[in-house]
Amino acid sequence: MSRGSAERTVVTPDGAGPAEKRKEPPMPRFVIERDIPGAGNLTQEELATIAQTSCDAVASLGVPYTWVNSYVTGDRIYCVHEADDAESILEHARRGGFPANRVSVVANEIGPHTAELAPVAAPAPAPAR
Amino acid sequence: MTLARRRGGTAERLVAPPAWPYPEPVDLLERDRERAVLAAAIARAHAGQGSGVAVTGESGAGKSTVLSTARAAMREPANAPTRFLIGSCDPLWTPRPLGPFRDIGEIASAAGLGPLLDGLDGLDGKDLALAHLCERIYEVLRDRATVLVVEDLHWVDAASVEVLRFLARRIEAMPLALLVSYRDDEIGPGHPARPLLGDFARLVSLSTLSLRPLSVDGVRTLVEGTSLDPERVHAVTGGNPFFVAEVVKDPSRPLPASVRDAVLARAADVTPEDFEVLQMVAAAPDRLDDRVLPALGVDLPTLRRLDATGLLTRARGGLTFRHELARRAVETTIPPGGAPRLHARLLTALERIEPRDPAVLTHHAIAAHDGARVVEYATQAARQAIYAGSHSEAAAFFETALDHQDAAAPAERAALLLRLANERYMTSRLSEAITQVSATFSLWRQAGDPSGLAAAYNACALYEYYAGRRRQAEAYADRAASVAAAPGHELRDATARAYATARAYATARATRGYLAYMRGELALAGQCCAESGRAADQLGQGELALRSQLIQAACAVADGDGDSRALLVEHVETARAHGWDELVSTGHSSLANLDVEQRRHPEAEHVLAESLPFTIERDIPICRHWQTAVRSRLHFARGRWSAAVEDAEQVLEGPGMPLATLWPYLVTALVPLRRGTDGPETHLDAARRLAEQLDEPPRRLAVFSALAERMWMTEQLDPLVTEAAVAELPELAAAAGSAWAAGDLAVWLARLGLLAERPFLVAPPFQLTLDGQHEEAAAWWRRAGEPFAEAMAWCDAAAPAARARGIELLDQLGAIGTADRQRAALRRDGVSQLPQRPRTSTRGNPAGLTNRQLDVARLVARGLTNAEIATRLYISPKTADHHVSAVLGKLGLPTRRAVVVQADELGLV
Repeated sequence: MSRGSAERTVVTPDGAGPAEKRKEPPMPRFVIERDIPGAGNLTQEELATIAQTSCDAVASLGVPYTWVNSYVTGDRIYCVHEADDAESILEHARRGGFPANRVSVVANEIGPHTAELAPVAAPAPAPAR
Repeated sequence: MTLARRRGGTAERLVAPPAWPYPEPVDLLERDRERAVLAAAIARAHAGQGSGVAVTGESGAGKSTVLSTARAAMREPANAPTRFLIGSCDPLWTPRPLGPFRDIGEIASAAGLGPLLDGLDGLDGKDLALAHLCERIYEVLRDRATVLVVEDLHWVDAASVEVLRFLARRIEAMPLALLVSYRDDEIGPGHPARPLLGDFARLVSLSTLSLRPLSVDGVRTLVEGTSLDPERVHAVTGGNPFFVAEVVKDPSRPLPASVRDAVLARAADVTPEDFEVLQMVAAAPDRLDDRVLPALGVDLPTLRRLDATGLLTRARGGLTFRHELARRAVETTIPPGGAPRLHARLLTALERIEPRDPAVLTHHAIAAHDGARVVEYATQAARQAIYAGSHSEAAAFFETALDHQDAAAPAERAALLLRLANERYMTSRLSEAITQVSATFSLWRQAGDPSGLAAAYNACALYEYYAGRRRQAEAYADRAASVAAAPGHELRDATARAYATARAYATARATRGYLAYMRGELALAGQCCAESGRAADQLGQGELALRSQLIQAACAVADGDGDSRALLVEHVETARAHGWDELVSTGHSSLANLDVEQRRHPEAEHVLAESLPFTIERDIPICRHWQTAVRSRLHFARGRWSAAVEDAEQVLEGPGMPLATLWPYLVTALVPLRRGTDGPETHLDAARRLAEQLDEPPRRLAVFSALAERMWMTEQLDPLVTEAAVAELPELAAAAGSAWAAGDLAVWLARLGLLAERPFLVAPPFQLTLDGQHEEAAAWWRRAGEPFAEAMAWCDAAAPAARARGIELLDQLGAIGTADRQRAALRRDGVSQLPQRPRTSTRGNPAGLTNRQLDVARLVARGLTNAEIATRLYISPKTADHHVSAVLGKLGLPTRRAVVVQADELGLV
């Protein structure tokens, strides 16, 4: 159930479909914070337009790049992207006209499943007779 | 929704910066003096004392480089960093208004510039008065030490020039270093940046640095380590730093013959597809916006490859060439047939992103030969320019739209021409405005639109009047009314067309009424205003209704009804409460003119003190010119001749409106005459011709008076005085509102012995003189605050003691010429004891104070300290000290306390 495996779907420039898997080291993941006042109030149409702009920007890059997903909060949007370097992240932002206030590379992903790998605690000593 | 994007001035790079072939310090050869000047300006800004520096030089001389190294060299305390803001101007067909300021995030948002110029929907155009914008930008810049750089001033727009001039006037007391750069060979006499450069030349705290080409030694240092021959390189490059740097970047190549060759050599290894991208960047005059890269199919690997050429950089939200010379070099490679297609691609891509910049879209539409889009975007760009107060740019955009409008409906074309004409008027190009309005007449007829035709006739009437041509103005105003009142037009008809026609009628009658008022034809004025007012009331047009009331009140004041002045003031206040700026200003103009004519000088001062800044703030050029001319006459009457000449010259030197030039001509002719110095020979003649065209009795009488004074001074017979003035006086004096001007002429003719019969009605002080009550007349003038008239009244008396007193007063006023003439008259009458010409002025008088010094003197008279004066006038305390000393010197007073005590006498209240 580990999520830390090397399997990723990669959209490649030559148009290979999302089902194709490559045996390469995984592209780094980045978390991007975009400060956009009033983001939480965007309508569905506006969000759709933004998403389309983002997809167009990804497609125009001509390098391996995945927009995984984004979380829209009140005044900020948190995006998760995969790219070879932060430079590409910034390039995508420029092309889409999005702010990129903070770009952080993901060092590790954890979840409830990660607890399974925690060291097991020593059994309690038996009570003295 | 558009996502706000910060467009800072920082340059971004895709990969590490290319390695320089030589270390940084050597990069700036032979620029030590310039760097020192810039560093000093920045240090002073940090200390709270602002200054400006202009860096000039040919393209490639290193203007941007020297400015950026100034930034790098800034050394300042870490807790109070200096803000460094960069804006630049773009080589668009017509510059976009406030271009450089819109790029500066802090200024744009604080000044409310971003959304205001990017989108026009739902905005109140009045919010963006240029004067308010200047104030807002000033507020942003004054609270923190700032370096503001504006590059490529030769491409600047008129509104930005106004903002920069505003800052330059206050810069002394601001923590601001204003650094501008431009190519001096590209700024000709009519260039919008000229007035700003004039300010740079005049004001002490602004200086200009001229970057010279490198010497052979400088080139030698740069080519050190290569096999290049410095002499040859210098010969080919002319010492141009950019060119030399290009050559040095690849020393193994044969020497390029030109900068173009050098630049293109760097792109020699680029693939054709990539080169097309370079051409696309070159085709964008400002930058290739990042957001159009997807639509243009430019991917990231391409950009990385292009970065290797070192030609491009990232700035202002897009791709741009590092240097304009490089951009132009690549631009020249675009084949003539290929340019339209390139620009069309850019245009399509730009249309997809928000917010749109109509100035940029117009630029591309023109190059793409897309007429329909040019018309659409140029019209939008013109509207934006008007909002920003850039009338010369608005005119250029309208012209562009008209040039590309092929098969438009006549009414559309006429409407566009009318708007262009209005912008021409706003930039004081009256004859062009008239030509353009006239071109609309046939179009309106074609369109069968009487209201448009009437509005055009009305506009023409006003422009003709401002140009000083009364006959034509009256004819157009009458035609406008008759077209609008043509049979078949029902005021009660509810259609929009009928409404517009009725409104045009009301406007035309108001115009005719105003013209009649200015000529003293009060009965006609009353009738026209009544007709206009009736129509306006029926239409519910408050502004038009108030206009006719205002004119009628002015008529009453002109006729001598003192009570009506309060009514006129009330109407102006009502107009102000409604925000009807033009009407307010017209009211001010009439009020100030009547006050000066009827010798209510303190009231006139108060009106002008408020109204002149209003005309500048609300951008009403005709009233600004007119009121400056009125102030010139006021200064002249009150004996402040230096200030009077200052104002007069200001009106005469700009393109201006001929209507306003009458009194400036008289002032600039009479002041030297009275002082006994040489003056412009032609001005009285120019004034006479203008007065004849204007055909307004008070003005014609004023010119005759001036001619009479000259004849009296020079003792040379002038038939214009002996025949024309004498013959016309009775009729001119009979016109309403001429009592003062007629009295003035009658007195001069009497002095010349030419007064046959006294005109029926003259104003009180002249009545006194003509009745022989000279002492009473002198007292009257003294109370009114007219020292020259007072002195002449004394000299009119018979008693030598009185005449001597008059001569003394003339001497004190600096009217040496007139004083000597009076002395000669005394001698002829056998008086031996003559008052001596003073060696130095024993008593001071405000005759020699300039307008600025008058401002300072008034503040001193109110008891303000130098520090308070400095704050009030936005100057440094040191400059305030300097002015106060100069004022005390010219007034001949020892202390500021003396100024306070004598304030009344000196007319400073």
